[in-house]
Amino acid sequence: MKKNLTYPVIFCLFVILFSACVKDTDFDQANDIMPTPVVELDLIYFNLEASDFFDTDTSTPILTVRDTTDLRFLNDGISDNLIRAEFFFKFTNSIPREFNVLFEFLGDTNDTTYVTQTLVNEGTTQIPTITEFIHNVEGESLERLTQASKVVVSVTIPSSNANLEGDLNLQSKTTYFLEF
Amino acid sequence: MRKLLTCFIALWAVSVIAQNKQLLYGWEDVPQSLLLNPGSKVLQKAHYGVPFLSQIHFNGGSSGVSAFDIFGISSVDINTRIRNKIFELKNTDFFTATEQLEYISFGWRSREDVYYSGGVYQELDFITYFPRDLAILAWEGNRDYIDYEFDLGEISATGDLLTVYHFGANKAVSKKLTVGIRAKLYSSIISFRSTNNQGTFVTTLGDGDVNIYEHTVQNANVSLNTSGYASLRELDGANEVANTLLKRALLTRNLGVGLDFGVTYDFTSNITASASFLDVGFVFHNNDVESYEAKGSYTLNGIELIFPPLADGETTLPYYDNLTDEIEEAIPVDTLNNSYSQFRPVKFNAGLKYSFGRPTDGRDDCDCRGRNESIARNQAVGLQYYSIFRPKGPQMAGTVFYYRRLFSFLSAKATYTFDPYSISNVGLGIASDIGKVNFYIALDNLLRLENIAKAKSISLQLGFNIKIDQE
Repeated sequence: MKKNLTYPVIFCLFVILFSACVKDTDFDQANDIMPTPVVELDLIYFNLEASDFFDTDTSTPILTVRDTTDLRFLNDGISDNLIRAEFFFKFTNSIPREFNVLFEFLGDTNDTTYVTQTLVNEGTTQIPTITEFIHNVEGESLERLTQASKVVVSVTIPSSNANLEGDLNLQSKTTYFLEF
Repeated sequence: MRKLLTCFIALWAVSVIAQNKQLLYGWEDVPQSLLLNPGSKVLQKAHYGVPFLSQIHFNGGSSGVSAFDIFGISSVDINTRIRNKIFELKNTDFFTATEQLEYISFGWRSREDVYYSGGVYQELDFITYFPRDLAILAWEGNRDYIDYEFDLGEISATGDLLTVYHFGANKAVSKKLTVGIRAKLYSSIISFRSTNNQGTFVTTLGDGDVNIYEHTVQNANVSLNTSGYASLRELDGANEVANTLLKRALLTRNLGVGLDFGVTYDFTSNITASASFLDVGFVFHNNDVESYEAKGSYTLNGIELIFPPLADGETTLPYYDNLTDEIEEAIPVDTLNNSYSQFRPVKFNAGLKYSFGRPTDGRDDCDCRGRNESIARNQAVGLQYYSIFRPKGPQMAGTVFYYRRLFSFLSAKATYTFDPYSISNVGLGIASDIGKVNFYIALDNLLRLENIAKAKSISLQLGFNIKIDQE
């Protein structure tokens, strides 16, 4: 008689075990999980002196100086997850000239994929002028930007001479709006 | 990343807290209680576990979050819920999964009245602490955390899959005192460990001289030890990996040794105390070892352009490559093949039992000679304590239990356990002896079975043995 109870008890425990369920949950929500970090990173910086715009050897102005750096993370690391990029450029100019600064983004085969430029207000050695330039890139422009792997920075001065004094300083950062 | 996150959440949704077998501890009707206390009282003359079925144990959980917290049907967006949980969790919260499968198990009483027992089991033990700062950085980015030092030292995780060979001896050295010891040989199948890390990452506003920010990794010292992993990387596909792991199931060259020891003492005929230390030992990893180590400090300011005068066709400086070289030099990631040893997570169990009710061993309900010898009775209540030593310190659990022998062939044990996972963990187990077949099943967190998704941990143990009772 007693042994007959064994199976019901075991059965009950199994019933408890197998009646265990997961409810009021929706695991399909996993498809909606979307981390959206916003990352701020320094970009490029430079400090150009007025003398960089005049060749003392030949006594001729150098109206455009140019430099290039790779930015391979643009088309290699974050391109699939970037939904917006916001560039912030801060120029501090103590040279009494206005500058035109051009940023050309190039692909692996040096084809231009994206371009932006800004004017920098003239300043004086006593009172340097600060020019801030915020440039937002998204949508189709972003697609072109993320095809780039390098940037060419061209700084153009309208005129120059041997007596020109002062500095042009750039500090910059990019805010990357990501989505995974 | 989304897939990784889903897998991670799913893992703790279906897996079941780590290693605390409060239902089996001190439950002398189940031969496997000897594995939890080699000095436990042994009632049977011999036992033989049914191969691969004598102990199946799943156990897993998280200390701060349940699957329901994330996937429960709610009007609040799932991303908001995850974000809220990330901020709610502490860096001492953890996720864990344990599994044990006994291959073989046996025991017998010798003529000298020593109960010898042995066997082989496979064990998976995984724990990761919640790296809160890194989770915030990954989820939110650094824009809103200027000047906040993200702690790289929060990375702390270990994982082991190993086979354990064990053999032990148990003896009642007096009417009141039973002692036992068990020797273990560990054979590590695969192992990884990343603990005692340190370092910070912080973004601060620059001082105006260089660039807008300074991104600084300070005093980083992060390492990951692996063994049994490097050779798997060469393999082609999951099938080959599974086959290789199966081949390692019996014996590998990464061996270790350990000891369990325990004691049971009858204070009076009703009151019994017991305690045990398990897995006091270590594993030497010297084969198929690969470790990674990153050490150093570095401050990133971006890329400085110096506009060098260039002749036609001349290229400028490789700023980007120079930068990556500089970072790799400042914080080199070294791959090492040095052997290392790893302590097993030591577990400590203790129990205090008060027995009452009618005697079940045929003796009188009377300690007539005042010897304070224990009398087995059909009911008992008591307290149990469990702790396991983890990378960030011991994790503890307390249990109140009630034991009842319902019939000569059937006993049950109910537990109420409070631990880092919950304060409402009710467990129930039954053990039956039908003929020579001993069967037991024990299940935790019964109150959550109605909806497992709300449980922060679940534990299940079951098994079959052939048990030969004392004549």
